[in-house]
Amino acid sequence: MTMSRQGVQPTEVIDRAAKLRFRWNGKRFSGFEGDTIASALAASGEQIFSRSMKYHRPRGILTADYWDPNLMVQVGDDPNVRAGHRLLESGMDVRSQNAWPSLNRDIKAANGLLGRFLTAGFYYKTFMRPQWLWPTYERVLATFAPGGKIDLDTPHAYHDKRYTHPDVVVAGAGPAGIEAALAASSAGASVMLVSHEHSVGGHLRYSSAAADQAALAELRTALDASDVEVLTDSTVTGRYEDNWLGIVQRNHPIAVERLIKARAKTLVAAPGLIERPYVFEGNDRPGVITSGAARRLVNLWGVKPGERAVVFSANAEGDAAVADLERVGTEIAAVIDGRTGGSISSTRGSSRAVDAVVADGASIGADLLVVAAGWTAPTSLLNMAGDRPVYDPAAARFFPSDPPSNVLATGGLAGDADLDGLRQHGAATGRLAAARAAAVRHRLQSRTARALPVDGDEPAPAPDERAPLGRDPHPELYRADTHGMVDMSEDISSKDLVAAAHEGYDSVELAKRYTTATMGPSQGKLETVNTVAAIAEARGETISQVGTTVWRPPYAPLTLGALAGRMFEPVRVSSIHPWHEANNVSIIQAGQWLRPDHYGDPAAEVRNVRRNVGLIDVTPLGKLDLRGPDVGKLLSLLYVNKWMKLGVGRVRYGMMCAEDGVVLDDGVTGRLGEDHYMMSTTSSGAGGVWEWVENWLQTERPDWQVHVTPVTTAYASINVAGPKSRELMSRVCEGVDLDAEAFPYMTVHQATVAGVAGCFMWRIGFTGELSFELHVPAGHGLHVWEALMDSGSDLGVAPFGLEGQRIMRLEKGHFIVGQDTDGLTLGPSTGLGSLIKLDKDDFAGKPELAWAADRSLPMVVAIQPDDPDVVPEEAAQIVRGDTNEILGRITSSRYSPTLNRSICLGQVEPDLAVGGTKLTVLLESGERIGATVIDHHAHFDPAGERLRG
Amino acid sequence: MAGLAGRLRKRPPKYSAAALAWKGLRGQSWPRVWRDCDLQRSYDAVVIGGGVHGLATAYYLARNHGMTNVAVLDKAYLGSGGSGRNTAIVRSNYLTPEGVAFYDRSVHLYEQMAVELNINVMFSQRGHLTLAHSDASLRTMHWRAEVNKLGGVNSSVIGPDEIKKECPSLDTSDHPRYPIHGALYHPPGGVVRHDAVVWGYARAADHMGVEMHQKTEVTDILCEGGDGPDGKGAGGRVTGVRTNRGDISSPIVINCTAGWASLISTMAGVRLPITTHPLQAAVTEPVKMFLPTVVVSGSLHVYVSQTDRGELVFGASVDPYANYSVRGSLEFTEGLAGHVLELMPGVSRMRILRQWSGLCDMTPDYSPVMGFTPVDGFLVDVGWGTYGFKAAPVSGEQMAEAAATGRTPKLIEAFALSRFDNGELVGEKGAASVGH
Repeated sequence: MTMSRQGVQPTEVIDRAAKLRFRWNGKRFSGFEGDTIASALAASGEQIFSRSMKYHRPRGILTADYWDPNLMVQVGDDPNVRAGHRLLESGMDVRSQNAWPSLNRDIKAANGLLGRFLTAGFYYKTFMRPQWLWPTYERVLATFAPGGKIDLDTPHAYHDKRYTHPDVVVAGAGPAGIEAALAASSAGASVMLVSHEHSVGGHLRYSSAAADQAALAELRTALDASDVEVLTDSTVTGRYEDNWLGIVQRNHPIAVERLIKARAKTLVAAPGLIERPYVFEGNDRPGVITSGAARRLVNLWGVKPGERAVVFSANAEGDAAVADLERVGTEIAAVIDGRTGGSISSTRGSSRAVDAVVADGASIGADLLVVAAGWTAPTSLLNMAGDRPVYDPAAARFFPSDPPSNVLATGGLAGDADLDGLRQHGAATGRLAAARAAAVRHRLQSRTARALPVDGDEPAPAPDERAPLGRDPHPELYRADTHGMVDMSEDISSKDLVAAAHEGYDSVELAKRYTTATMGPSQGKLETVNTVAAIAEARGETISQVGTTVWRPPYAPLTLGALAGRMFEPVRVSSIHPWHEANNVSIIQAGQWLRPDHYGDPAAEVRNVRRNVGLIDVTPLGKLDLRGPDVGKLLSLLYVNKWMKLGVGRVRYGMMCAEDGVVLDDGVTGRLGEDHYMMSTTSSGAGGVWEWVENWLQTERPDWQVHVTPVTTAYASINVAGPKSRELMSRVCEGVDLDAEAFPYMTVHQATVAGVAGCFMWRIGFTGELSFELHVPAGHGLHVWEALMDSGSDLGVAPFGLEGQRIMRLEKGHFIVGQDTDGLTLGPSTGLGSLIKLDKDDFAGKPELAWAADRSLPMVVAIQPDDPDVVPEEAAQIVRGDTNEILGRITSSRYSPTLNRSICLGQVEPDLAVGGTKLTVLLESGERIGATVIDHHAHFDPAGERLRG
Repeated sequence: MAGLAGRLRKRPPKYSAAALAWKGLRGQSWPRVWRDCDLQRSYDAVVIGGGVHGLATAYYLARNHGMTNVAVLDKAYLGSGGSGRNTAIVRSNYLTPEGVAFYDRSVHLYEQMAVELNINVMFSQRGHLTLAHSDASLRTMHWRAEVNKLGGVNSSVIGPDEIKKECPSLDTSDHPRYPIHGALYHPPGGVVRHDAVVWGYARAADHMGVEMHQKTEVTDILCEGGDGPDGKGAGGRVTGVRTNRGDISSPIVINCTAGWASLISTMAGVRLPITTHPLQAAVTEPVKMFLPTVVVSGSLHVYVSQTDRGELVFGASVDPYANYSVRGSLEFTEGLAGHVLELMPGVSRMRILRQWSGLCDMTPDYSPVMGFTPVDGFLVDVGWGTYGFKAAPVSGEQMAEAAATGRTPKLIEAFALSRFDNGELVGEKGAASVGH
């Protein structure tokens, strides 16, 4: 095979005035604008583009389009680029992927000599002994992994997504697809036409027939004048429930690749047909190409594919290829007609010779073998819509059977006709698609409460009255009387498939899994039907009986970058954050939030809170504003304790359990007004509890009048804690009596703080100190914080962080949901069993909690190591003596600066949950230490006098 | 085993390099991996479901207990369910002592499998990293490590520097939205060629006389004496199954049907605390090897490994809704891609080639349900959720023992169906959900 650039072709898409220089395996090459990488290389006489996976056989152009399995190359840091499709750009650094040391001389080609031993699945039958050698075997096998190289420094570039809701999406821009788009648009539908190729026109683009070119020009003019949105170099890659479509746009001016998500009311599938390779000995040699490849090379890029060709033709496409080749001066050595029984048995010849051996054994000298053996219908989008296409042996391909009403097929996928017939079918399909879309649009609009009123009744369902396309007879040409490659990307031959079927892997799915046929980058587009045919042959059955594999999304591969787009998971900070950053803060990431962990010395922060007064920014605390007459009932349903008698101005602690009785969340809720409550949740539970509340309201109690607003970020929250907190608060608060009797523990007041109206505060205390928790409209958080800091300098006010708070809550024995509890911790295990009111009406988790009430359960207990200087790790296991039997674990542990000793919370087996019990704790170091369960959860101030003061 | 000899089929040729060479030289073909048999009217035991669990159960019934008059029925082809749809990860770094002991036995059986079954299942013990992106998840990793150590399982918590050493493609800097704080590192964990496990068990079971029947769908389970209609339900006993190819009588029927487990059990009048959820997975085009370990991130709902063929295989957590559909969704691949790029920004140019999903039979405590039911002779090996593949060998071994002896083996006592009545749940949520 010797390819070369020829004179100007009337249909060519290259701009010969625009020369582009690029590198191929380090050497300088050039092509023209409009060339693909492959066409530019072919025009320069390149013959080998890649090496096959297993045998490292040299591979050349096969189909010269996107699906060509032999044209995968590396372009810069972009692996597995389809050189048959990717347009050439100036300065491209193109490299071959699967060859060493070079494409022309590849050491692993020696594997070809071992072909008879390396049958499909051979690796399952060997490398088992000696077992210790397997890791070495594996490393060697892994060097056969095909594909390009990724560069780990590749940035995740710009890939924003687009969302659209067109009435009709047409997948495929051949003549039928264009007509469908035009007709749907004329009927008033909004239409998106998606062309997999770089320009619209389908097979007309590479037809030199005057009538085809005239039709193409006419269609393009009509498209330009229409309202149809045309996307080129884009593919509808997936069809999901309710016509939710994924479309990948490869030629977006900014994005590397863009994912378009479209909710189409009707999808028209018009992908055309994919030309199927023919299986015979040597069918994967460079110089054996499909008729479509020949026609594209000649007509689109002005490349003469060879000097002397044998053409194996079973259809008009093959015949047209003969004419195209003759026009550019390729000598036609022979035309073997597949319709009259002609066949190709093998190819022979060394280097660039591709002599064709025909059925009678005669060898015809040539350097090019063009094959037109038939078509594969790419039924992927129909499959994804639930259709199971049916094989027609007379036409030798699959046809749609019964797709849902919002998916229509046209063009070659639906049948055969002359150009006018295809265009008429396309137009009729477009009108039907528009009519069905109009009915859907009417329904959506009339059923959407706030949409504009819609005129008239919903249109009756549009019946499918299209005149069906015909089915041209085509010989069933899958394999010659010799064996050859079925799957070029995987190096799987028909012999492999027959052997696999005889071994028992005789259903198409088993054979696919065993041999890996159809599992490579072209995902069966070229090889599925030949695979099925080989299995059918081995089983002595028909293709219909064997059936086909399921086509799964995506139809065309798309990058992780396009799928990922931009991540909408912002980092959250409170309005006070700038102050923290200016004050030596150490930040900790907690869920979505960045929070102050400490400001240098958490122990000192604790001592200051216990002695003076401290401030902590607790903005991430979940907050739900609940309004309506039924809030009391809602709280009673979701918390295990009672709520109906909570007075206005009062605050209560509540524990939530899931239906299985496992602790879900906890926090305080206050009643701000007659029908107005504020619920607080844990910081990590904020999102989940909101969903939980809404789920109950919307699915179980839709009749209750409760309005829920998540206000976590609407307020900045500050806890002012310590014996001097009342003094500090009195300096900044207006209009509220802070005296212990007027504002006792577990009450809530609204107030103006530091001049900011609309604040509310409640007296609660996670730290165990006298404290006021302030909730300030978020924009004023920083101001109020600074006012507190300024006003309290003589009181010793200082900030404290999460770490200080964790130490203090542990000193007080307050558990943290999800740390001291886990996915199996039932309500009573927390030690707050008395909170659970089983005499209440139904509440979430009641049946399980009632069941648990008289059982002995693992318990959360406070534990002190015997050696006060040893702090066991959180997760250290509590074991029985010297054994490995697990009896519990440490869930929280710290050194207490208040008590000057180590303190813990842990979960233990029921019989150990008694004050005074001696435990053995296994440290991570392996050392076992003694520890003692104490009588109550609080290591410090168990009576709670400081809190209530 | 000697007493078995009479019933053994003529021993088919062993797989080996020498046999490959010999057959290659002589151009000989290999015999069928398992026979095509006529369906008998009666068996000593019927296993419903020809996936790894059903096939392993049948294999161990024959190998360990001499029960060879056994049929494995599958409504499609062998391995067509979860066995061929999972991401093939094997590990034993669970959270509960029961889980650790059970999965540790499974890893051990996987280590022996290639030699025992005489098929290369390509168990690649490349190491398994479970990433922690927060203090809270790091704490859970420590908890798991401690429990693992006590169970004799190699597992420890490592920091970002060591993670980078084990897996250079991970972004261990503090730049990402979810920085990597540490990981639970489990060196014996890895991946297996899942289909080979299916075929290996089928082939080995076939050699001992077990029959595999594909395209044989169970449409009803026949019972007598139970308190429900048609003699089904508690107190009754199983007498056989009805299939699309006729009735089969059998005193033992074992339900190994994963996603369809609750539907099949209902046929015997046994209700299971199971809901079925789809679990999606995807694979990319191949590139040269760059990812040496299995990487899991629970907080980012993703697990990923690179196959020997160079593809990245991804999985996620189950879809949040109960469903029997196995069509994938676009949102799944989008979320997956976003989170993978969080971990490894360098792979943004890799392309997704194929997505699929399988069905997972989820229990409330993320642990399986194994053993006897209130219907005598009807056993279940279900509730395998997202972790069934890694447990296949040990499940088969234990279920076979239960079926053959009529007693619940100690290793699976904790997983009895009765635990939902007496409240002895085995909480593996922290280690099983997205814990591949």
